[in-house]
Amino acid sequence: MSLLIALRRLAHVRLGELSRRTTAVTLSSGARLSGLRSFTVGTQALRSDKVTFHFINRDGEKITVKGSPGDTLLDIVINEDLDFDGFGACEGTLACSTCHLIFDEEVYKKLGRVTDEEMDMLDLAYGLTETSRLGCQICLTKSLEGMVARVPDSVTDIRQSKDESA
Amino acid sequence: MISVRRMLQQALRVSGRSAFPLVKWMERWAEAASLGPEGTRRQAMRSLDDMPGPSVASFAWDLFAKRGLSRLHELQLEGVQRFGPMWKASFGPILTVHVADPALIEQVLRQEGQHPMRSDLSSWKDYRKLRGHHCGLLTSEGEEWQTVRSLLGKHMLRPKALEAYDKTLNSVVTDLIDKLRLSRSPQGLVSDIASEFYRFGLEGISSVLFESRIGCLDQVVPEETERFIQSINTMFVMTLLTMAMPSWLHQLFPKPWKIFCQCWDYMFDFAKGHIDLRLTAEAKKIARGEKVEGRYLTYFLSQMGLPMKTVYSNVTELLLAGVDTISSTMSWFLYELSRHPEVQTSLREEVLSVLEGRRIPEAADVARMPLLKATVKEVLRLYPVIPANARVIPERDIQVGDYLIPKNTLITLCHFATSRDPAVFPNPNEFQPQRWLNKDQTHHPYASVPFGVGKRSCIGRRIAELELYLALARILIEFDVKPDPEGVSVKPMTRTLLVPENIISLQFIER
Repeated sequence: MSLLIALRRLAHVRLGELSRRTTAVTLSSGARLSGLRSFTVGTQALRSDKVTFHFINRDGEKITVKGSPGDTLLDIVINEDLDFDGFGACEGTLACSTCHLIFDEEVYKKLGRVTDEEMDMLDLAYGLTETSRLGCQICLTKSLEGMVARVPDSVTDIRQSKDESA
Repeated sequence: MISVRRMLQQALRVSGRSAFPLVKWMERWAEAASLGPEGTRRQAMRSLDDMPGPSVASFAWDLFAKRGLSRLHELQLEGVQRFGPMWKASFGPILTVHVADPALIEQVLRQEGQHPMRSDLSSWKDYRKLRGHHCGLLTSEGEEWQTVRSLLGKHMLRPKALEAYDKTLNSVVTDLIDKLRLSRSPQGLVSDIASEFYRFGLEGISSVLFESRIGCLDQVVPEETERFIQSINTMFVMTLLTMAMPSWLHQLFPKPWKIFCQCWDYMFDFAKGHIDLRLTAEAKKIARGEKVEGRYLTYFLSQMGLPMKTVYSNVTELLLAGVDTISSTMSWFLYELSRHPEVQTSLREEVLSVLEGRRIPEAADVARMPLLKATVKEVLRLYPVIPANARVIPERDIQVGDYLIPKNTLITLCHFATSRDPAVFPNPNEFQPQRWLNKDQTHHPYASVPFGVGKRSCIGRRIAELELYLALARILIEFDVKPDPEGVSVKPMTRTLLVPENIISLQFIER
């Protein structure tokens, strides 16, 4: 039992290190990116063009949707009635991490600054990666046209698939 | 078998950050391999009968004879020592499973379902039923809870919505600074800072709820607000006592329950009085043809078509939730800073350098004050306002660790124990804000979750954090905070919430 605990703790220390490293990276480029982002939101909103965005759901299927600039990725999931079980439980109030999305590195870099509040919530996410973000904190901009976000497995999925197979 | 599986899962979870697809496959494999045929899993899973814990008599003895009710947080530490990370105990008539390991707490919270429930049996709910009141956010469940949570969450938690409060809160902070100056002895000593901060907390939450001031920080404090604060304190003491008492004891000693009800009666009356006053003034304005633009929470609630009883109960609960929480945290914060002048100096330098000559910080400034945020985190780790939280999962049995917990079991989450666990936080009893900034020193993310996690977490969290940051930064700009030369070290005690056991007095020296 004590070995188990030691291993588990070791595991978490490593997880934490990775998450801090992510923080450092995003912070250094944060200020510049957030400036850029607000600029694009402003101009795009005026033209009111729709932006195409892709989600890859938990079964690996690609879902293509259109959203208005300024909408968050969580807004799009709700507006388009996408069925990602348990997604966005706290309704975009930054109180949980169920709207966790994973991006390719190039896309991740375009997403702008991560606030301390989002970072704290991300730390609590299941299956955190270095390119994880919360969908409720990412606003759609023209520069995200055609980009992809993956919906990671949640702990409930794993339990459910276990129950089904049983 | 199960532990091997969990070890694998944990290891996989970590490597998952760089090699996700592989992990997904391996996780499934690990699940399948370790579970094997259905029978194996059943065999390996343990039931409540196998769980260790004190006998009913010995736990009751601890609670009533050995001041256990005010030492509940310490009993968590003793529980871990004696029984390991999970044990069962009977709290009055209720059997509850204690969980005191971050990874296990995470497991519980991840299975809390769509409408998380704190506890289905409680004296708070009993009182409301008895008086025919409705339930507020703290006591309602299911759809009833969800409707109000969704509405208030939008106005209280979203980062955008929060900007609306910093002017209001800053005007309350200004009054607090004046009040501290006024309360000082010639030597600069403010005695019993917690009671000053109770009034500040009540004035702060009122300003947000009613967008008007109720005079808690005036030179002469209105008697009704003092009585309201006293009612909260007494109600919290009676909460634990009435819940721990078996029903036959209630028959013998009816007084605790009676006092408990009187306290609630007063709090409900107080809230109703202020709501009616505010809404009547509004109605008169509308009658005169004036435009009304409410930006305060009571207004949002009253515009939703909810029954007035629901508005009353929600406002009562929001009021009481903003008082001890703010007061204790500010008291501990300044208490620790007075004993760690080097931290106080660094913190003041941070605040002053961000403000560049301004005297009043705003919400946006706080984003650039990492040490201030880290210090609040450290204070809440050492003194979590909610030392233990609870969950009931009514839909199904859940697996936690190696145990199968039957549905409807009250699960106590021992946050005090995990946030003082030396294996998670080295030197756990030391005040070290730097530990939250040190990139090499990290901890399990569920070890210190003072506001809770998820959709049932503290709805006042962001307002409270903002209120704390604005008030504490201002105090540091205005004063050097020093210990009471005759002061002693102060420990926490449980009064449902975790509060200072003794009076804290501090010197506020003009800078």
